[in-house]
Amino acid sequence: MLFSSRRRTSDFEAAAMPHMNDIYRTAVRLLGSSAAADDVVQDVFLQAWKSFGQFQLGTNCRAWLFKILFHTIHHYRRKWMNVRILKDSEEILEHAAAGSPPLPEHITDADVLAALAEVPEEFRAVVLLVDVEEFSYKEAAGIANVPIGTVMSRLSRGRKLLRERLAGLARSYGIGDITEEGQSA
Amino acid sequence: MNRVQFGEGACEKIRKYLDSYVSNELLVETNHEVLRHLEGCPACSAELEARARLRASLKSAVKSQAVPPELQARVREKIRHQQSRGWRDAGWQRWALATAACVTVAVGLWVTYSREALPALSDRTAQKAYIQRASASLAAVLQVGLGDHIHCSVFRKYPKTPPAANEMQEKLGPAYQGLLPVVRAAMPAGYRIIMAHQCNYAGRQYIHLTLENNGRLLSLVITRRNAGESMEGLPAAGQPSGVSIYQSAAGSYQVAGFEAGDFLAYIVSDLKGKANLLIASSLAPGVREFLRKTAA
Repeated sequence: MLFSSRRRTSDFEAAAMPHMNDIYRTAVRLLGSSAAADDVVQDVFLQAWKSFGQFQLGTNCRAWLFKILFHTIHHYRRKWMNVRILKDSEEILEHAAAGSPPLPEHITDADVLAALAEVPEEFRAVVLLVDVEEFSYKEAAGIANVPIGTVMSRLSRGRKLLRERLAGLARSYGIGDITEEGQSA
Repeated sequence: MNRVQFGEGACEKIRKYLDSYVSNELLVETNHEVLRHLEGCPACSAELEARARLRASLKSAVKSQAVPPELQARVREKIRHQQSRGWRDAGWQRWALATAACVTVAVGLWVTYSREALPALSDRTAQKAYIQRASASLAAVLQVGLGDHIHCSVFRKYPKTPPAANEMQEKLGPAYQGLLPVVRAAMPAGYRIIMAHQCNYAGRQYIHLTLENNGRLLSLVITRRNAGESMEGLPAAGQPSGVSIYQSAAGSYQVAGFEAGDFLAYIVSDLKGKANLLIASSLAPGVREFLRKTAA
């Protein structure tokens, strides 16, 4: 038993621990708080450790960990927060621009992160999974537990909203040098 | 993956698929068609470039987030804590199992050794000593029934097939063969008569029926009352069927007795006290009535 436990620990170290930074960064963007992300990541890895016996070595550990992350955040939100995600999303989408707004020429990381924070969570989540973590639509659908079609529509809307928020941010800063080639043809 | 043919209104159509193109989710053929369109369309190329730039900026911004250096240590500590808790729980479970096993063994040993090993069938001296030890705690009037049960039913090897009814009737004799249907009628299901005869033990004559159920032996022992013998001074176990029954335990044996005119009758077994008393209560009325008629 001691041997199998050591083996399990070393397998877990090799398969799961390298993904901790990605999990943490996604958690920060989804929760909007470093402290909350810190707690959630610990829970994610503890849960992963407990369930590691069910994980098949050689399969996609990274996607498995992200799925646990999404599951944990879902419970975390239900337990600690009262977020009207769907209504907020609908309200925001009603005001979303039909076309693609121009993208500011010079954008900082802080600008992008501030704009991203304003994108409703379900869109933000899919954008993070596909654009940042480079999961396929199929993998993202599995992680977020939604159909692939939903991933595609949320990704499209999420990217558009992000771009709109960035453009709005640039306008609020009085930045005028916006690339015009981004305008709809 | 999606494959789309672009024709008229190609710019509008291609914009719908730029997200999948950026995500590399289109089929190779569709990718080629998108590329062909982009080569001849500066506006769509600019749109693609804007989307790709946004994607790269987003990735760079998110990845710029610093990860607390102590996070890994905290996670490892949490897992270690869980591990040690798991081991403690497993350890506790192991101890609980070991304790349960010890208790089981101890109870088994106690049951084995408290139920004194039976002497060999050929060793009459040891059998006599065994009966004396087993009966020692009983009132003398109850020792009468237990002694014959052990002597005649316990120290015996039974054939696989019980004797035929007529053989048992013959061994009981004409005066007592009528007991067989009385006993059969009163016994609970599962019991079968494996021996019925008249026998002698310790200077007394007995009518003795032995019954068996799943390896458990039960005797109905009847003997004529000697002068002065009575169960009345004993604490009664009850009169569940209108007959006073007296019961005592002796080691692993239960001895229930009742009086029937000139006779003393006993139900002796290694059942639990309650089960033995129930059978005695069931048998007592019929047996007493039979003996009353026999005496008359």
